[in-house]
Amino acid sequence: MASLRAWTARVGGLFGRPQADRDLVDELNGHLDAHVEDNIRAGMTRGEARRQAALRLGGVDMTTEAYREQRSLPWFENVTRDLRHALRTLRRSPAFAGAAVLTLGLAIGANASIFTVVYRVLLKPLPYGDSSRLLALDYGVPSVNITSGINFMTWQLYYQLADRARTLDGVAAYTRDELTLSGSGTAERIASSQATPSLAKVLRVQPALGRWFAEQEGETGAAPTAVLSHGLWARRYALDPGIIGQSIRLNGVPTQVIGVMPATFAFPVPRTEVWVAAQSTRASASFLFTLQGVARLRDGATIATARTEMTGLIADLARSSPNQRGMVATPLPLQESIVGRVADTLWMLLVSVVLVLLVACANVANLFLVRSEARQREVAVRQALGAGKQALVRYFLAESALLSLAGGIVGLAIAWAAVHAVVAYGPPNLPRIPEVRLDGVVVGFTLILSVLAGVAFGAIPLLRVAPLPTSLHENGRGNTASRGRFHARHVLMGGQVALALVLVISAGLMFRSFQKMRTVNPGFNPTSALTFRVGLPNSEYASRRAAVMVHHSILDGIASLPGVTAVSASTCLPLTGTCFGNGLQTERRIEDGKPRPFLWWRGVAGNYFETVGMRILRGRSISRGDVERGERIVVVDEALANSYFPGQDPVGQRVRASIPPNSRFGMPEWLLVVGVVSNVATTALAEPPAGHLYMPMSIAGGPDIPTQALVGPDVTMMGYVVRTTTQPSSVVTAVRGAVANVDPNIALADVQTLQAILDRASEQMAFTMVLIAISASVALILGVIGIYGVMSYVVTQRTAEIGVRLALGAEPRGVAAMIVRQGGAVAVIGIAVGLMTAFLGSRVMVSLLYGVSARDPLVFAGAASALLGVALVACWLPARRAAAVDPLVALRAE
Amino acid sequence: MGKTDVWQGTLALMILKTLETMGPQHGYGIARRIEQTSGHLLLVNYGTLYPALLKLEQEGYIKSAWGVSDNNRRAKFYQLTRAGKKQVARETRDWEQAQAILARFLAPDEAS
Repeated sequence: MASLRAWTARVGGLFGRPQADRDLVDELNGHLDAHVEDNIRAGMTRGEARRQAALRLGGVDMTTEAYREQRSLPWFENVTRDLRHALRTLRRSPAFAGAAVLTLGLAIGANASIFTVVYRVLLKPLPYGDSSRLLALDYGVPSVNITSGINFMTWQLYYQLADRARTLDGVAAYTRDELTLSGSGTAERIASSQATPSLAKVLRVQPALGRWFAEQEGETGAAPTAVLSHGLWARRYALDPGIIGQSIRLNGVPTQVIGVMPATFAFPVPRTEVWVAAQSTRASASFLFTLQGVARLRDGATIATARTEMTGLIADLARSSPNQRGMVATPLPLQESIVGRVADTLWMLLVSVVLVLLVACANVANLFLVRSEARQREVAVRQALGAGKQALVRYFLAESALLSLAGGIVGLAIAWAAVHAVVAYGPPNLPRIPEVRLDGVVVGFTLILSVLAGVAFGAIPLLRVAPLPTSLHENGRGNTASRGRFHARHVLMGGQVALALVLVISAGLMFRSFQKMRTVNPGFNPTSALTFRVGLPNSEYASRRAAVMVHHSILDGIASLPGVTAVSASTCLPLTGTCFGNGLQTERRIEDGKPRPFLWWRGVAGNYFETVGMRILRGRSISRGDVERGERIVVVDEALANSYFPGQDPVGQRVRASIPPNSRFGMPEWLLVVGVVSNVATTALAEPPAGHLYMPMSIAGGPDIPTQALVGPDVTMMGYVVRTTTQPSSVVTAVRGAVANVDPNIALADVQTLQAILDRASEQMAFTMVLIAISASVALILGVIGIYGVMSYVVTQRTAEIGVRLALGAEPRGVAAMIVRQGGAVAVIGIAVGLMTAFLGSRVMVSLLYGVSARDPLVFAGAASALLGVALVACWLPARRAAAVDPLVALRAE
Repeated sequence: MGKTDVWQGTLALMILKTLETMGPQHGYGIARRIEQTSGHLLLVNYGTLYPALLKLEQEGYIKSAWGVSDNNRRAKFYQLTRAGKKQVARETRDWEQAQAILARFLAPDEAS
């Protein structure tokens, strides 16, 4: 306690020194005067009294010195003195300081920005209580080679897990939808989620205002209630607490607002703005895969035990509900399920910027070497005058610390700007992006990084300073610099070449992957096509019939617009997700004992295949008449045909939804397969093709079709595709008008071109590619500067020697070749090391690449020769100067 | 027996004890008093006194204020704080304990 106080006082003692000094002088003078008077009283002469008093005090100067040391922190004052000195020296060489600070600032800034993203997205726990025990529920069907990734479940399975899983401390299910919000203000489409009331308990979150759903609100038939997001509450209701208890219209249904979530709550996705209670009952639980699940591991349980138990519970359930047969549980940590997709990319980016930092440190270390050699005399003089080794080390470290801290500050500023840019312009599918911002951890990381960098490049010249007591007489005729010094520079230079090569190879591999990805056939024609989605308010369009009619009116309205060549609709557009899945039975049994994979079901209208650009491989398409008459027909895709009808022609055969035999609603009707179409990408490019089944929208699902009798997706929400003769964007206004003509209350969502949907699918790869390319370019530029600097220095140091050589008859060209050879040899060794590193480290990149080997010889060879070329040019410029040396001038300069 | 320098560490206790018995004092006064109390056996190097006073002040055991001395001079007076009083008691106790322990070692042939 007392020592802490004393320490604080001493830190305080660093300030206000002049006054304290004056006080001490006063005090000591008073002391002396009093002592002198006493001595005189004791019979001394005035002179003797003064002498004795001064003697007993032990010297005013020494006392003052001892007092000062006690007053504040002497080591700290030494350090500040060194820092001040370093600052003065650096200010005298602004070019050196500027180059060093800028180089470091760029590299540190890149590290700080990527680290910010890595930290906030990957490392920081999700903002839920004890979030490490949260699981995302996921399933696989190993018998059809789907090991995992079916992240949907049924109501039946939800109840099974909620009631019986003992390894789980709560299960919640939710959906990701959107709905139309109206009542007070304009109608708008907002992202929504239906969630079981258990969600708040599982995630351990509380509403900021009001309450979350009660258990009975999750029962079918309970009065509709809604919880708003903080964003929606602020945006639409001006943070009015009176919103609780009020009625809003969701899809036209009056719904009571019961709560507002805190601003940090972003589940399942950040843009979710309203939550409604998902309603079902155990008795009428659906067997459709419409729900996503999240659960909390009970204390003592592990993912492995939970997986075993859940798989057993699924097997129990599958006895009465065959469409869940063969399924295994593959739960994974919730955080991993949210960010796992980008984890590899982010780590790779972090590695790449760390490499850039190493290159930058090598560059700055080189600068320091040049300086320390230029300052050898100064150092020697200091040593001769008695500067201890420790003082010299401190002095040099002060310089590098100053530079690296300045670099750190510049880096923070760069990171601040970069992070803002990433949040604003980065790929929107980067998870947790709203949580990304600079914080104390990042600032701490940056400072530690700059200190490490400072020590790293500050220590290299120090290694050379330490054993130099003899350097005073080394300043005679220095013809060639000593070997050891060159050795250090060459190691740095070779290292830079190696690191830069690794980055250039990575960038090359990413570029090749991106190229390959762009040539993947998505299964549709992306040019000149506008897409948007239309959601019908349930209150006005309460039946499938009504929905089909209004969709047809919209299709007709748009088809008659000028510049529109075709228009059609589907319950789910390519590359926008899985939407609706169900199992399938074929009339003629296929006796190979294999369970069949899941299928994605689509309701379509208006010559969908032709409009989107899919090819009809066999049979025929679905016509307007089929839709209007509600023909019991389907068109299947190639993937479905291959798995359900191996070696057969599906056209003419009959299929139906695989519904449990004991269903109270009887068996679904048989549907006749009339055609086979080409595959189309469902969620991502370059994924193995999933089976699709297309049906006329008039026989799919609708608001009046009970969930238990559903055979296809709900047609209340349809995605439209409009083919145009001109720019797709030019018809947007006309299309909006046509829709409003049919019903002004219908809102359009996600208006974008088909090309934009396709671009987004390769966006993450593009993002990674661009960032790695930036890292590689920075490393390359720094590397070139490094090589150039080293070689220039070598030439300067050897000017005299070169002069002698030229005077003795050496060819200027031969001299230039000698310099290039010297630099080239180092570059070749660096390239060899870089190639080896990239080869051995190639595993890191595998998961980011597409269609190209991580050891692609073309990329390796291309990058190596590019780097060699650049290195030779960087050597050649100084070499040309060497060749131009005038022997007379060079020798006279001695 | 010649005059002894003040042992390290004991000077602080002497200063505190002096201030406890004498009340507020200036530096010179404290030094003289310590010499007197020791029967002039201790030789206080006055120079060491001031850093010691500063240290005690930094630790919060004493506080100082400028005032006027007996002979009408400006002088800095030191005074015990409450923490200082406690510290005197604590150090006195420690000292006595240490002394008692040492005494056992030094006592000739005490029954063990």
